[in-house]
Amino acid sequence: MAAYEPSFAQEVSGKVDFGDEIKMCMQCGVCAGSCPLRDQMDYPPRQIFSLVRAGKREEVLGSKAILLCTSCYTCVVKCPRKVPVMDVMHGLAHYALAQGYVSRKDTASFGQEFWKQVYRLGRVDEKDLPRRVFFADGVVNGIKKMLDFMDVGIKLLLHRRMKLLPERKIKGIQSLRKMLDKAEKKGKGGTEA
Amino acid sequence: MKYYLYWGCSLEGTGANFLQSLRPACEALGMEFEEIEDWNCCGASVSYAGASDLAIKVLNARNLAMAEAKGNYDIVAPCSSCYIQLIKVNHEIKENPDLLKQVNDCLAEGGLHYKGGIRVRHIQDVLYNDIGVEKIRARVTKPLNGLKIAGYVGCQSVRPYGEYDSTVKPVVQDRLLAALGAEPVPFAKKISCCGSGIFLPEMDYCMGLVKDILEDALGHGAKLVSTVCPMCAMNLEMYQDRINKKYGIQLDVPIVYLTQLMAVAFGLDLKKDAALDRNVIPPEAILKEAVG
Repeated sequence: MAAYEPSFAQEVSGKVDFGDEIKMCMQCGVCAGSCPLRDQMDYPPRQIFSLVRAGKREEVLGSKAILLCTSCYTCVVKCPRKVPVMDVMHGLAHYALAQGYVSRKDTASFGQEFWKQVYRLGRVDEKDLPRRVFFADGVVNGIKKMLDFMDVGIKLLLHRRMKLLPERKIKGIQSLRKMLDKAEKKGKGGTEA
Repeated sequence: MKYYLYWGCSLEGTGANFLQSLRPACEALGMEFEEIEDWNCCGASVSYAGASDLAIKVLNARNLAMAEAKGNYDIVAPCSSCYIQLIKVNHEIKENPDLLKQVNDCLAEGGLHYKGGIRVRHIQDVLYNDIGVEKIRARVTKPLNGLKIAGYVGCQSVRPYGEYDSTVKPVVQDRLLAALGAEPVPFAKKISCCGSGIFLPEMDYCMGLVKDILEDALGHGAKLVSTVCPMCAMNLEMYQDRINKKYGIQLDVPIVYLTQLMAVAFGLDLKKDAALDRNVIPPEAILKEAVG
C-alpha cells in the first residue's frame, strides 16, 4: 500500500484558486449527484477531491471532469459543507491548463480565446469567438467545423442576432490591461504561481 | 425609478431581441436606464480557462467602481451571466475584506477605487420587488389569456445566492408571467442547466440537457418557453433541429424573453418593441392568437 502523499494536496491548496476549500469536503457526493454533466465525467467532483488528497496529480490535472463544468452553481448551493465546488473545479482547470494539461480541447480553447478577447478588446466578439475556437485545431478541421456550424450562423444572421461590425476596443482598454496584469501577478494558478 | 443598465456583450448580438424588448417594456413601467460608460465584458462563466480568479474579480470590479463613481443607482443586469459575475464580487468582498483590498490595489492601476456600495440586481428582482406584480398587471392592455408558458429560470439568475427568489423552488418568473395573464405551467426542469457557456464546445454532451428541459416543458402543456438569459435562449432555441436529428424527436417550440411577453401584453408594437421577428422559431402566431 502506497504511503499517504500530501505534496499534491499542498500544491493545490497553495497554488489553485479555491484549492484550500477541498479540505472541507466530507465525501458525501451531493455535488456529483447534482451535476448536470456527471454522466460524462471520468471523475465527478467528489472523486476529484479524493484524488487530490491521495496525491494523484496526473489523474486530477488530466481529467476531463475539470473542464466539463457548466457553471450552474447547483453543487455550490447543495454542498452541506459549503465548499464552492464549482470554483474549485474552475481553479483546477485553470491550473491544469497553465501546466499544459488539456483534457477537453474545444472547451479549453473556447475559454482561453474568450479571455484573450476580453484582454484584447475589453469586450467579447460573439462571431469572432467561435471562428477562433474552430481554427484552434488547424485549418482543415477549422473549415470542417465552420461548415458544420454554418446553419446556426445563417439563422442568427437572418434574424439580426449577429453584430455585423467587428467589436471595437473599449476606451479604457490600456488601463484595464494594467489592472488585469497586476491581478494576474497577485492571483493564483498561473505558471508563475 | 432610475437604474444603471449593464446589458453586456450578448445583448448586442445573439440576445438582441432581449435588449430591444427590455427597454420599451421596462420604460412602460416607469423605469429609466443609464449606461455605465465604457463598460467591459464580465468574463462570463468560461474565463477561468485563461485567467486567475482575482483577474476576473478585478474585471467586474472595474464596472462596479465606474458605476459607483458616477451615481448611486442599482445596476440592473439582464444577462444571468453578467449578473452573477458582478454580484459574486460583492458577496466575496463582504466575506473577505482582504479581497477588496487586493481588488483595489489592481483597480488603482487605472485610477479607480471600489468602496463596495453598489447593489447589483437581476431584471426579475427589480420587476418583482421594485415595480411589483400589481403595477405590472395594471399596465397590461392585451392579457395573454391563459396561454400556457413554461417559465424557464435556469441557473445563474437565482443560484447561488438566492437574492430575490428561492434557489430550489423559484416562483418570481411564474408570478410575473401570471401578471401578464399567462398560465405558468409547473415543470421539474425549470432550474436544470442547459449547458450554459460550454454548450457550443460540448454540444454532444449538452444537447441531451436541452432535450430534457424542452420535453418536460412541452409535456406539461407549454406552448412557449420563456427565459431571462441570453445563453439559455440561444441554447434552447438555436439547436432544436440538431436535437431532433440526434434523438429522432420533433421539437419546435418558440423560446421568448420575459420582456418580449411584457411588450406584447402591454400592447406595444410586436416588431419594434417586442422584437418578435428576431426569434428564430417564430412565436408571433401563438401570441397573436392568445391576445386575440
